[in-house]
Order: sequence, then structure tokens, then C-alpha cells
Amino acid sequence: MIQQVCFADTLLHAAQEVFETMIFMDLQPCSEPDRRLDGEVLMATITFTSSLEGCLAICAEKACAEAIAVNMLGLETGDNLSHGEVCDAIGEVANMVMGSVKSRLTDTYQDIQVSIPSVVKGRELSNSLKDQAQRVSVKVNVEDAHLMELSLLYREGR
Amino acid sequence: MAKSLMIVDDSATMRKIVMRTVRMSGLDFDRTEEASNGAEAIEKLKQSPVDIVLCDVNMPEMNGIDMVKKVRAEVAGCANTKIIMVSTESSQDLIDSILREGANGYITKPFTPERFQEKLAPFMN
Repeated sequence: MIQQVCFADTLLHAAQEVFETMIFMDLQPCSEPDRRLDGEVLMATITFTSSLEGCLAICAEKACAEAIAVNMLGLETGDNLSHGEVCDAIGEVANMVMGSVKSRLTDTYQDIQVSIPSVVKGRELSNSLKDQAQRVSVKVNVEDAHLMELSLLYREGR
Repeated sequence: MAKSLMIVDDSATMRKIVMRTVRMSGLDFDRTEEASNGAEAIEKLKQSPVDIVLCDVNMPEMNGIDMVKKVRAEVAGCANTKIIMVSTESSQDLIDSILREGANGYITKPFTPERFQEKLAPFMN
């Protein structure tokens, strides 16, 4: 339980660092933790291996993903955003959050190898990892307007 | 004297973020190029060398480490080009090995304009 709390904090602080320094958006723990992602969502996943292995996922409602892409690209509006640009932006967010998580865990888990991120679109998306995997998730509000969920599936590496 | 810059990253979004951060850092480049992987970067560098390359590590087709090796071995016009890696990879062993292959610096993501200023300014004169 203590370990799970630590992973949740690690995930939240890593995401806050990325959103503050690279995306220029405020990110805070969700004020309504029971609220669920609604409608079409984008899910970016990135896997990792070492003595700890697993998958980091970021699920964002479509409007949230578009708002993030607009800020990352320095645009005024999302009117001319393509689906590819939004996917690319969310994939990069996952990549950077994973990088920040990795550097925060480096004292405990050395040499974590990270994959290239992939992004899918759909409804009620979730990721899973068979056999003895633990899962922590953190729901956050982006700019006090959008809902996003960060999750980390992990287990001891084989 | 103004310098030339190439940004190498498979993510178009990240290339734009890197470019924006370079501008925010106050560094002045009179020519900027982009490439989406190491192979494309090498082709462009053979045609038109630049002063500074900012390069991701994990990319499809040819990753950043292989790109550094090839530039140092095969692109004569880039003998004085400074290559700064920009990546989420932060293990010291990896950074050391990339520097041994011929890279001139390393910036970890997430980054700030101040970090770019600190790492690139020594190569601007």
C-alpha cells in the first residue's frame, strides 16, 4: 500500500512537472475522483522493462487532448488541428511523463528501458497487464476544466 | 555571427516545442532545418551542414546514437558541428556512451529555455 501511494505521487508529480515546464498548463488532482472519462478518449501508452516492468497510460477526453495539443504547438485555437497532431502531442506527453517517472525512480530501479509511445482512440479504454501486476491511477484536472487519467501498471521484472 | 540549427525528432510536435524553447532561450539562428529520424538528418547534413544539431535518442529507422556515429564517421562537412542530444533517457551510463560516440552535450526532457541557454550558449561564438 505504501509503495502504491508512492507510485501515485511519483506519477502525479512527474505529470505536473511536464505540464508546468513544457505545456504551460495547470494540472491538479481531480476534485471529483468518482467522475469518469466521458465519450471519445485518446489513450497514449508507453511500456518499460528492467527490474520493474509495466506500462504507463494517459487517457484524455478528446477535448482535453485537443487543448493540450493547442498549447504544446503554441496555437491560438484548435480549429485546424489534425487528428495526427493531437495523437502526436498526447504520445509526447506520455513519453515525457515516463521520462520524468523514470528519473524519479532511478535510485530504486536502474536502467529502465522505455518503448516508443503509441496512441489509440476509442471509448471506455483501459490497459491491463496479466500476472501479478499492480495498478495505480491518478485522475487530474487540466486547467480546472478537463479530466485526464494517468495510470501505471507494474510488476517485478523477469 | 548567427548560426544554423537542425532539430531531429520523430515527433513533429516535439520539433515545434524544441524550436519554441530555442526561441524562448534567446538564442539566434539564421537557418533552421528539421528531420524526423537519423537517416533523414544525415542526408540533409550531407547536402547542407549546420553548426548545431539537437537530436532525440529514441527514433525509428535510425536512432540518435547511430546518427551521431555516422555523422562523425561519414559526414566530412560536419567535423565542427556540435550535436546535443535531447531525450527523456536519463541514465548516466547512456549519456556517457553517447558523449563517447561524439555528441557534445545532453539535455533531458522535460526541459526549460534556461537549460537550452546553458547548454547551447558555449557553442554560439
